[in-house]
Amino acid sequence: MIRVRGLTKSYGWRTVLAPLDLAVDPGQVVALVGPNGAGKSTTLRILAGIIRPSGGSAELGGRDALRDGVAARRHVGYLAQKLGVPPATNLGDLAALVAAARGVPGADALAALDAAGLAGRLDAAVSDLSGGQRQRALLALATLGEVNTLLLDEPSISLDAEGADDVRAAIRAARDRGAAVLFASHYLFDVARLADRIVVLVDGKVTADGSLPELAAAAGVAWSDQVVDPPIERIYRILVRRGRGDGPMQLVRDDAA
Amino acid sequence: MTGRALVRFELAAAARGRALTVIAVGFAAASVAVALAGLSAGGVVAVQGFARTSVSLLQLIVWTVPMLGLLAGAIAGVDTHDMEFLVALPVSRARLLFARWLAHLMGLGGALLVGLGAAGLLLGALAGSADAARYLALVGVATLLLSATLALGVWIGVSARSRLRAVTMAAVVWLVLVIGVDIVAIALLALLPAGRAGWGLSLLLLANPVDAARALGIGLFQASTIAGPTEAALRRLLGGTGAWVLLAGLMAWTLVPLGLAGRRFGRQDL
Repeated sequence: MIRVRGLTKSYGWRTVLAPLDLAVDPGQVVALVGPNGAGKSTTLRILAGIIRPSGGSAELGGRDALRDGVAARRHVGYLAQKLGVPPATNLGDLAALVAAARGVPGADALAALDAAGLAGRLDAAVSDLSGGQRQRALLALATLGEVNTLLLDEPSISLDAEGADDVRAAIRAARDRGAAVLFASHYLFDVARLADRIVVLVDGKVTADGSLPELAAAAGVAWSDQVVDPPIERIYRILVRRGRGDGPMQLVRDDAA
Repeated sequence: MTGRALVRFELAAAARGRALTVIAVGFAAASVAVALAGLSAGGVVAVQGFARTSVSLLQLIVWTVPMLGLLAGAIAGVDTHDMEFLVALPVSRARLLFARWLAHLMGLGGALLVGLGAAGLLLGALAGSADAARYLALVGVATLLLSATLALGVWIGVSARSRLRAVTMAAVVWLVLVIGVDIVAIALLALLPAGRAGWGLSLLLLANPVDAARALGIGLFQASTIAGPTEAALRRLLGGTGAWVLLAGLMAWTLVPLGLAGRRFGRQDL
């Protein structure tokens, strides 16, 4: 479970995240969408303990993520946009470390890498893996153990169609296990297929928050469950334009409290 | 469990590549060369004993070990800014940083031990074992100096935002420690009346891990003729207990920068 209340981040006079309220329940997948610089990564990085917020509070799995970060992250998987480990790191060594940190047997980590098709690359440096292999490896390790909260920053970036399928499968599997999943993505079709709720961020503020049909209604776009590919790009553009002041902000939930 | 896994992880990363092998071979070669060089000027090439070699080696140690420690520490420190995946694990940042410092100390210290140890074995075999214990103590002093400068380098690296800045700062600090403090000491001696410079010089010695290591090394072999102004002042003021003060000072030079680095790393945005 993720609970965020009044979370803000400023660098000097520049506010990159206005007070943000957000809740992701167990078994729910929530997508953060928005233009570059909207505050999506900032939100995820605060929750993962990478950066400190300027104000507000955050809970992960019922624990205070800001004051008791190590305990709060015990069951949190995080996939960064950047590599996030020394490039020369050997994949097998990384797996052993993640297993130890999560308190699971090393064999589980090796099995996860095996399932990701990387059993033969354990001696390879992470920097020697292809972009897709790297992402699969880090996702496999991020979801290792009893992860009840998954934070993913652009998880499908640099992946081919097969790799993107694997990411989608991992997100669905985490949801089915009852994990709260919060992910940021520019791939709107991924968002449409996976997210139970979509939060549109513009300039650090939530412009809209709802299910895809709710967002479609807010954007005034005709919606039908029968349509195979929902018109999410159109909905997104309308909501972002409104967030920038071209129209009223209509759909902002108030269920974070 | 996590602590050991962290150190193993960092040690494996530090040991990758050939840097440690090069350092070990370099120290071994330099030590043997120093052992042979002393008598060659007289037309004789022979291996000197531990005492003479150690006094010569001390100069090599106080110049090269701080440079190694500061540069390796600065790079290890600045690279922590690219550890998002690791920082998001349920491990405190202080532990991550401590493991990184310890792994580098084990790696570089191991290379130092192999290098100086190989030379020591050669010296023992060819020139006898007299003063071997003091030679071992000198290796210990070198390791303490490495530990201190590595911690200082890690602090510099954590505080810097780019590799270039970290390496530049490390190089400047090295210059200050190796040369700058001695210049200040000489200036103090020149400016202050004879009896009043003692305490200032002694504090200056404690304020510089390189000088402290040099003084300890010189003390091991009673080679007071090559003592600098700070060592001489400390010797006059504290006598035999000076060595213990210096040892404590050298250890503090590990603990304080490491604590400051951990504090800073724990609070900064990556």
